[in-house]
Amino acid sequence: MISYAVSILTFVSLATLLGFALNVQWGQAGMINFGLAGFYAVGAYTAALLSKANVDPIAATAAAIIATAIVSGLVSLATLKLREDYLAITTLAFSEGVRLVLMNEVWLTGGTDGIRDIPRPFIDLVGGDRYETAFLGACFVLILVVYVILERIIRSPFGRVLRAIREDDVVAATLGKNVLAFRVKAFAIGGAVIGLAGALHAFYFTYIDPSEFVGVVTVYAFMAVIVGGKGANRGLLIGACTVMVLLEGTRFLKDLVPAMAAHQAASLRLVLIGLGLILILIFRPGGLSREYRLRVAGQLHDPSSRA
Amino acid sequence: MPQALLNGLVSGLLIALPAIALSLTYGVLNFANFSIGAMITTGAYFAYLLNVGFGASILIAAPLAGLGLALVAVAIQRSVYRWVGSDHITLLVASMGVAFVLENTMRFIYGSDVRTLDVPVARPVQFYGLRLNHEQLTIAIVSLLSMAVVAIILKRTRLGRAMRAISDDAALADVRGIDRQRTVDWTWVIAGILSAFAGVLIGLDGTVEPLMGANYLISVFAAAIVGGIGNPFGAVAGAILIGLIEETSALAVSTSYRQGVSFLILVLVLLLRPQGMFGVARITR
Repeated sequence: MISYAVSILTFVSLATLLGFALNVQWGQAGMINFGLAGFYAVGAYTAALLSKANVDPIAATAAAIIATAIVSGLVSLATLKLREDYLAITTLAFSEGVRLVLMNEVWLTGGTDGIRDIPRPFIDLVGGDRYETAFLGACFVLILVVYVILERIIRSPFGRVLRAIREDDVVAATLGKNVLAFRVKAFAIGGAVIGLAGALHAFYFTYIDPSEFVGVVTVYAFMAVIVGGKGANRGLLIGACTVMVLLEGTRFLKDLVPAMAAHQAASLRLVLIGLGLILILIFRPGGLSREYRLRVAGQLHDPSSRA
Repeated sequence: MPQALLNGLVSGLLIALPAIALSLTYGVLNFANFSIGAMITTGAYFAYLLNVGFGASILIAAPLAGLGLALVAVAIQRSVYRWVGSDHITLLVASMGVAFVLENTMRFIYGSDVRTLDVPVARPVQFYGLRLNHEQLTIAIVSLLSMAVVAIILKRTRLGRAMRAISDDAALADVRGIDRQRTVDWTWVIAGILSAFAGVLIGLDGTVEPLMGANYLISVFAAAIVGGIGNPFGAVAGAILIGLIEETSALAVSTSYRQGVSFLILVLVLLLRPQGMFGVARITR
């Protein structure tokens, strides 16, 4: 039971990190990333391949962060003078491209067999029996670090420009802000966080294959952000927990309705998740928590007004 | 090579149907409908249900599937998109949720098994050394007829004028007394019928399975963007171009990267000519 809770909490931690990333890209800068799974894969495979080649785990994680940040920045260049809709399809197409490479370049990625026996970092130091718990602790620490860094960025002048661009890029450009440079940086920052999450994913599971990096991951991350409140990092932990509870809770649907086959229960869960996403968008568009700036604004004026 | 061009032309005509649907909804509703792939899949399953489940001829099953999907599309507009608001990014995310629901509902009912429609097998037509199989001929005919009908609706009917007016300037259209709700509903009817036809045609040429539409999503978007998104006539040209390039690229790159080719075209177009081949550069907010 404890080990079950530990593994669930580790999933929640990974989802929270992905949510943080999406919160910078989408919540702050208004840039949709439908290819999150692809960037996640870039991070995971970079970390996995390097550690298999006996690179120090910290160096491998750093490499995963840098590689994903660079790739994200490059992909976001497609927003040059464009509406955000185009970024949505470009990132989606990118993640499809990543999946094709993962499946076909067997010499590098092992194809559909994936990469197995990824060495766990610092296993000699911690020991095998308490490893999962220690890993979870490390995740919590990393979440705290990322949270503090992101909050600083969000409240800095840089963050303010991002929100200005999100609200109206023409005005931001008129005020002399280099919209493209800000967008690319925002997307790269988000990418760095996704890269970190990807590396942790690879180290935790010690086995990765292309089927783990499909659109469902992206939908979960969106769900966590929407539930937690777009642009609000503090609500995200609640958002990620809610999504995980929903996911795990609906796992037991199968036991409640005995006539249902396993694949039916699985698809019913996904239907419920999609419905949940739509319902929140309709009834609770602001999510559970509010963005920092809006929260402050709300205290000054009418507390019941919503953005 | 001529055979590849012919195949490309046919696959372009196939992509054109959902690309037109995407362009129409983009123009009238001002958001990119990411559920277009799932709509194709749903339409194909409707036809499968009538064709294999109830034994109806495909000639009856296909139009009924179109009608069914049109109703579903209008129902989704009225129950989801209408309430989500007017922010085009939120609508886009909502359409992703809709896609998730549609696709997994089909998976819930039919599982992930690959299915085929019940149609008689016919010999390919041969001329001048080129082969055109029956399914390809059907695709070409259905697609050209549907395009003609859409063109007539857009250019010659009140509804078409209203659609073009809203797509041009929604506020101005409102001022001139155009009924937005009604026009939006009818746009979804057209989009639903076109997507269902595409689903049936894909099912005729290949198989019916939950990811069949999603596999076309990137090509369809690439076609609509290359043609200048929001411009249904451009979408046809874009679709044919995408079809030709995808088929002929198989001569140069490994077939497993065929989908990657649309991605490259998409990125190139976005960087070099973001308004598409036929789009007009506009200052937009």
